Amino acid sequence: MYSVPVETAMLSKEHVERVAEHVWEIPKTFRDDMRVPARLYADEDLLDEALLDNSVVQLVNTATLPGVMRYAIAMPDIHQGYGFPIGGVVATRLPEGVISPGGVGYDINCGVRLLVSLASVKEVKPYLEDIASRLYANCPSGVGSHGQLRLTNTELDRVLHEGSRWMLDQGYASRDDLDRTEEFGRIPGADAVFVSDRARERGRNQLGTLGAGNHFIEVDRVAEVYDQPTAARLGIHSSNVAVQIHCGSRGLGHQICEDYVSRFQKTARDYCIELPDRELVCAPFDSEDGQEYFRAMACAANFAFANRQLLAHLIRQSFQEVLAGKIKDFELSQVYDIAHNMAKIEEHEINGRSVRVCVHRKGATRAFGPGSSVLPDDLRDLGQPVLIPGSMGTASYVLIGTTEAMRQTFGSTCHGAGRVMSRAKAKKMMRGTELREQLRSRGILICAGSMSGLAEEAPAAYKDVSRVVEVVHSLGIGRKIAKLEPVAVIKG
Amino acid sequence: MLSFEEIDHTADRAFRVAGCDMAALLENAARAMQALDRDGPRPTAEPSTTRAIEVEGVDGESLLVNWLNEILYLEQVYHLVCESFHIDEIKNHHLRARLETRECDGSYTHIKAVTFHNLKIRETSDGLEAEVVVDV
Repeated sequence: MYSVPVETAMLSKEHVERVAEHVWEIPKTFRDDMRVPARLYADEDLLDEALLDNSVVQLVNTATLPGVMRYAIAMPDIHQGYGFPIGGVVATRLPEGVISPGGVGYDINCGVRLLVSLASVKEVKPYLEDIASRLYANCPSGVGSHGQLRLTNTELDRVLHEGSRWMLDQGYASRDDLDRTEEFGRIPGADAVFVSDRARERGRNQLGTLGAGNHFIEVDRVAEVYDQPTAARLGIHSSNVAVQIHCGSRGLGHQICEDYVSRFQKTARDYCIELPDRELVCAPFDSEDGQEYFRAMACAANFAFANRQLLAHLIRQSFQEVLAGKIKDFELSQVYDIAHNMAKIEEHEINGRSVRVCVHRKGATRAFGPGSSVLPDDLRDLGQPVLIPGSMGTASYVLIGTTEAMRQTFGSTCHGAGRVMSRAKAKKMMRGTELREQLRSRGILICAGSMSGLAEEAPAAYKDVSRVVEVVHSLGIGRKIAKLEPVAVIKG
Repeated sequence: MLSFEEIDHTADRAFRVAGCDMAALLENAARAMQALDRDGPRPTAEPSTTRAIEVEGVDGESLLVNWLNEILYLEQVYHLVCESFHIDEIKNHHLRARLETRECDGSYTHIKAVTFHNLKIRETSDGLEAEVVVDV
């Protein structure tokens, strides 16, 4: 086991300047290859935690990307990833700035969907074991798991181009679901010509599957409402049932990232781009390489929207199977569906001018404020709902996007709790079976395919999500609307 | 000297691997990746088959990543677990290898992909060494 990596030893708190309350900056002068400063949004404890591993070095590395605008940003849930830190936001100026597949990650459009019901947890509780069993049976989990849909090449192409719209045509979605999905469930610009046969093979049978790692389906209780009128407009009511889905583009997205990271190892040299980490490989957005990756990434993003949509359908079906004829108003409506691993083309105001940028969010959530033209009519005056899942067994939050996020962070906020402990250490601390029993004694049912995988996701391995959310709320880059607490968790 | 050991990584998994030459480094890296994935695919009682594969990269590091990703691909798409690895030839960052594979049971790998994060193959007094981060 290594003690302290060399890169970490080179960056300590003395290199970090306090810019404002909860805003820290590593100036451009810290390293010759930085093009802009690096900014970290955190309270002092979260900053100290971030400095324990390579997270902040990874943040500094992203400040070297060609075309990066203003500053490289990290959210308070920052933790060590590969290439980008998790919790990273980098906007590059278009058309000449770069797009980096490693800045999106292998799980392209990993994201969260929230469904809510008018039924209370008290009404549903007697049937909770049955619901959890049905969810586990109907929503396959595991990295290589297969779903029930077997797609032809033509059907797969339609999914890649149309995302959730294909699901609407097949009867697995409603128009309201699409209205309540980022980009209405379809990223423009997708072109399946740039998706490899291998990616197709890996994804073909995986629609409607959860995957592994930190992916989950969670049945929650609305534990607290901070803004009653806004929550009511989103269909969120105290003590009622809510369901979160956390997953992404499965093997198809993993393969697309792998294909382009591998290809860019060679082509980055053609563009004379020097990088501190090979996982950051990139290409100018308007180059053939950049365009082909973007179009393939959009396909994976659409696949992920379709995947979460089909899972939502399977969850509704599971509720129907268990609750029909037993209780009323258990139907699940969609609050919103957000991506937290994505590169998006957006317009942002920089120095008083509107600039077209490619915003990489790697473990960060879009959080557009009121008035944004990309929001559906009924949400435009509110702002975009933001979903922040906590670690297993802890709270999750619903926030709303803000004007301040548009001003400070390219319309972005945090995405979750953020890990503080390695998977290996988490597994040594407690066995999966013990953890399952501990959570059960707190009234949280757990269904998991892998006990070892469950142990890796122990709550102690994560930061306190409430502290992370308090930081973004106090900074105004996300406003608290409601808090959810788990009653049943289905783990990949 | 151990041929591989797990090293700490906050969100994903990582290992350090060594080998007396490039072929040994690659074979040990494949074993290390399987060892990290202890709850991963397990072979069934079906007879094993030998598969010949070829992998290429633009340099040693990309050959290492592409080799490991090839093994993950066989697991995830064909549900084949590799029981032994034999690299016949490495020339100009291109390798030819034979893999003894067997069908897996219903369990699946927890590894999504092998990354290039800070990847550098270093020469040591015993041969070669590298640290590999995998996305889980």
